[in-house]
Amino acid sequence: MEDIKKLILDTVKDAVIEEKQKLTVTVEWTKLPLLAKTLRNNKDLPFDFLVNLIGVDRGEELGVNYLICSSKDLSKEIVLKTSTTNRENPLLYTVTDIYESAHYSEREVYALLGIRFINNPDMRKFFLNSDWKGFPLRKDYDTNPDINPVSIESKEIQDIAPRIMETEEGQLLEETVKVFEDDDYVINIGPQHPSTHGVMHFRVSLDGENIKKIDVHSGYIHRGIEKLSESLTYPQILHFTDRLDYLSANMNRHALCMCIEQAAEIEVPLRAQYIRTIMDELNRIDSHCLAWATHTNDLGATTAFIYGMREREVILQIFEKTCGGRLIINQNVVGGVMFDIYKDFQKDVKAFIPYMREKLAEYDRFFSHNVIALGRMVNIGHLSKENAIAYGVTGPAGRASGWSCDIRKHIPYALYDQVNFKEVIRTEGDSYARYLNRLDEIEQSLCIIEQLIDNIPEGEICAKTKPIIRLPEGEYHARVEAARGEFGVFIESRGDKFPYRLKFRSPSMQLVSAMPLICKGEKIADFIGIGGSMDYVIPDIDR
Amino acid sequence: MNSLSKYFLGIYTGVKSLLVGMSVTWKELWTKKVTQQYPENRKTLVVSDRFRCELTMPHDENNEHACTACGICQMNCPNGTIDVQSKMIETEDGKKKKILDVYTWDQGMCTFCNLCVITCPSSAIKFENNFENSVFNRRKLIHRLNNEGSKLREKKKEVKPAESKAE
Amino acid sequence: MMLLNYSQPLELTKLIKWFDNLLRASLPEFWTLLIEFVVVALALLAVYVVVALLLIYAERKITAFFQARIGPNRAGKWGLLQSPADMIKILLKEIIKISRSDRFLFFAAPFFMIVASFATFAAIPFGQSLHAIDFNIGVLYVIAISSLGIIGVFLAGWSSNNKYSMIGAMRSGAQFVSYELSAGFALMTIVVLSGTMQFSEMIEGQRYCWNIFNGHISSLIAFVIYLISGHAETNRGPFDLPEAESELTAGYHTEYSGIMFGYYYLAEYLNMFVIASIATTVFLGGYLPFEIQGWDGFNQIMNYIPSYVWFFGKTFVLIFLSLWVRWSFPRLRIDQLLNLEWKYLLPINLLNIVLMVLLVLTGLTLKDLFGIL
Ligand code: SF4
Ligand code: SF4
Repeated sequence: MEDIKKLILDTVKDAVIEEKQKLTVTVEWTKLPLLAKTLRNNKDLPFDFLVNLIGVDRGEELGVNYLICSSKDLSKEIVLKTSTTNRENPLLYTVTDIYESAHYSEREVYALLGIRFINNPDMRKFFLNSDWKGFPLRKDYDTNPDINPVSIESKEIQDIAPRIMETEEGQLLEETVKVFEDDDYVINIGPQHPSTHGVMHFRVSLDGENIKKIDVHSGYIHRGIEKLSESLTYPQILHFTDRLDYLSANMNRHALCMCIEQAAEIEVPLRAQYIRTIMDELNRIDSHCLAWATHTNDLGATTAFIYGMREREVILQIFEKTCGGRLIINQNVVGGVMFDIYKDFQKDVKAFIPYMREKLAEYDRFFSHNVIALGRMVNIGHLSKENAIAYGVTGPAGRASGWSCDIRKHIPYALYDQVNFKEVIRTEGDSYARYLNRLDEIEQSLCIIEQLIDNIPEGEICAKTKPIIRLPEGEYHARVEAARGEFGVFIESRGDKFPYRLKFRSPSMQLVSAMPLICKGEKIADFIGIGGSMDYVIPDIDR
Repeated sequence: MNSLSKYFLGIYTGVKSLLVGMSVTWKELWTKKVTQQYPENRKTLVVSDRFRCELTMPHDENNEHACTACGICQMNCPNGTIDVQSKMIETEDGKKKKILDVYTWDQGMCTFCNLCVITCPSSAIKFENNFENSVFNRRKLIHRLNNEGSKLREKKKEVKPAESKAE
Repeated sequence: MMLLNYSQPLELTKLIKWFDNLLRASLPEFWTLLIEFVVVALALLAVYVVVALLLIYAERKITAFFQARIGPNRAGKWGLLQSPADMIKILLKEIIKISRSDRFLFFAAPFFMIVASFATFAAIPFGQSLHAIDFNIGVLYVIAISSLGIIGVFLAGWSSNNKYSMIGAMRSGAQFVSYELSAGFALMTIVVLSGTMQFSEMIEGQRYCWNIFNGHISSLIAFVIYLISGHAETNRGPFDLPEAESELTAGYHTEYSGIMFGYYYLAEYLNMFVIASIATTVFLGGYLPFEIQGWDGFNQIMNYIPSYVWFFGKTFVLIFLSLWVRWSFPRLRIDQLLNLEWKYLLPINLLNIVLMVLLVLTGLTLKDLFGIL
């Protein structure tokens, strides 16, 4: 990393480099695009993957943190920081041209913090209506409900996107662009629709049956979790994580616990690590079973849907017996796990492994080679490796495009460095590759569980922690591999028992952001199928 | 010629894959059905002991509970589900003492995060697996957990709330 | 060889004869006919409804079993009252009039659907002498009338003023027009074989052996193609694109409610039945029992089962097949659907007709080879 530091200083002389939890570089906002571009185009170690884009209200200034890392080695991370002191009309440069995945994140930052990004091609607010007053994540935001009353009128969707572009002479130009042409045949997929996997609104303009353009409209079930968290203690925040991507509840919670544990330097007992890892993998199988089920259902095979649900039920039973919850399982706590395993846990899990293998074979016979299914998946929704990285598509979908992006391999946590498993990578990048990846990952998860289940050591399940957890001042990141890709947690602490700023990186947001790209030109029927193969979960986006 | 053989090979593999698929459903036609028939199976239904459905405050045969009305559960609850009402009474030896008056828990607000239970220093509350909680009126979801006229179990007086916290 | 035993106790022939004689004896010709028409119409209507209800029930139950579930089991024993209960519910529901739609066409559309399916129903021979109209061009009639239904689908999609419905209807049009061809050609293949278009003659012609055996390879191909295209014509999975719920919510009938929706629902099931019964009549010997030449004892037993049981039995087997297919496969995409028709079914079908002509001309049908008659 020394030469990277040198590179940074060569590019921007007055950059401030600090060695914190991650290498942190603070630059002036005008220099940021240049630095980001240089790092991205770095030959040996291109920093081409924008993991997380975090807007922060730093009091005097409004700023943005960019966590970037290299797609070749996810453990090489840099945090770029920049800010502006203008609170009235804060402007920063966009990085959308460098990292595609920044597009929606920047719109989110605009909605929640009011920072507008110069050169972002479409600067509508994400999550919020354009007439929302105030910026919720600012510290001086007035939460009085009268300011933004609940409206029961349906509002016209804004079809004219404002943006702010810089001309060649360096002048800033406010302008508007139309999202759709006047005579486009636009149909709504969502917010209420049989197959959007949640309350997501896609507006799709069609040319016959072919898709011309997709506009993503989100925020119908936004719950303001990040804002709520700013006034809750760390143990209290934990229960929100289960409600993000509810299908990877345990993994999300694992990430937050890990982040807090790293910051507060809490040692997690080995037994707890075992339980966490096993539960994570069970959760992953559960999620992939459901993903398989809904994907097949999206393609019109209702029977397969029920089969997937049936297998998932076995895991849910195990969850129920272990932690008294099925979907929202509340298993991890800071320092370990809440519930010890029950007496027959090992027996149940060991019975499940051969059962699941048998069912995997059945899935394979039933659906994986069916001509109709192949016709609906092979060469459909192609996502290249370059685009996967640029759009930050991780998880089974990213790995289907040939990108090795498994956090469990790159930045091992819990017990993942002690077990043998294969990172499933395919290079086709189509729906079928994503589909097969998921089934293969179920098999890999079974392998992991097999290696751990007999060796769970005796001991504590939870480390002793202080009654009130305060994190030392600083910025902390944690990343885990959730079922849909990389889930990240960012905590900025000012030494309080509440976080100053908490941000989740939700993998589904990136999956959705790639949808307009990979669906272009496909049939409307395949739009649903591709959505199924990407397998996004909406509450994960609408945090 | 090549394309022609491809054409027929396509038909062959296609039809074969469809038949294999149909054989799977045929097998499933005769497998055991997994549907749970509630409420007929109420007697045989096993709900895990740990299943969190209803917060309770166990009372012993003397109508005594363990809650000291310290309010830690209320403080820890992320969404204000618990309301601990205490009152001051004078004990026989003339000391003032805070005891529990009414302990209410709003099931409709609870997210079942279990934080109250694990942080309670005197283990006075726990979750039960009684899952049949539907009522016709939202107000009925607000439960009073301590019995009428119950009092604190007098055994260990030296309860130091902060220390036995699990988290 | 006298294969059919007319003194069979369970047949309805005698009953009908007796009823006819009774009327003729006491009334003039005109009144006799009138009463008979009304009675036949009522009987058909009753059968229509009962068949629909039974089919809905059967579909739900069988689907459930395929999906490792139990299916309806709350209304009545084994959920037997589920369909009547649903029917009552649907009758009681409000018919929602949507604004900015073409009111007249919107309400006319379901009738096309139901009338088309009912009209085909009349031409089906359910059993020995249970045959309302016996056209001499029965096959043609059935093909012609059943395509009326598409008008209903199309009007529904057009008049609903709903984009999903519109796309559904367009898909439906493309699909129906294509598959109609295949279905027609497949039936024509058998017309070539049996040399008649009249259902009754066609059935009688199968006394020696069923058409599907008689024309062996060629018949078998025609049979499979007919089943596929018939399945497609009824808009049922994997060909249910016009109402593909994962993208078009409910396709062309998205905006319908109450009994208007009920008509579509009913017609869908009845069409399934009609397709299956035509296949039974044309390929599987209609109401004739299964007999093997020379095994007289076996034939006697088979013969004892009344003809309508044979008919419904065979039809049910075909319906079961259709359900099995429906619940095993994912849905095709519109271009794949058309590919299947134009690239596979149609060419094969055309060749098949030629093959059948050759078979008949060169005397290679089973009957010609081994027949004594
Ligand atoms: S924490 Fe326990 S003892 Fe304290 S008020 Fe709550 S239930 Fe009572
Ligand atoms: S379970 Fe959680 S939400 Fe429910 S009362 Fe306890 S602390 Fe509050």
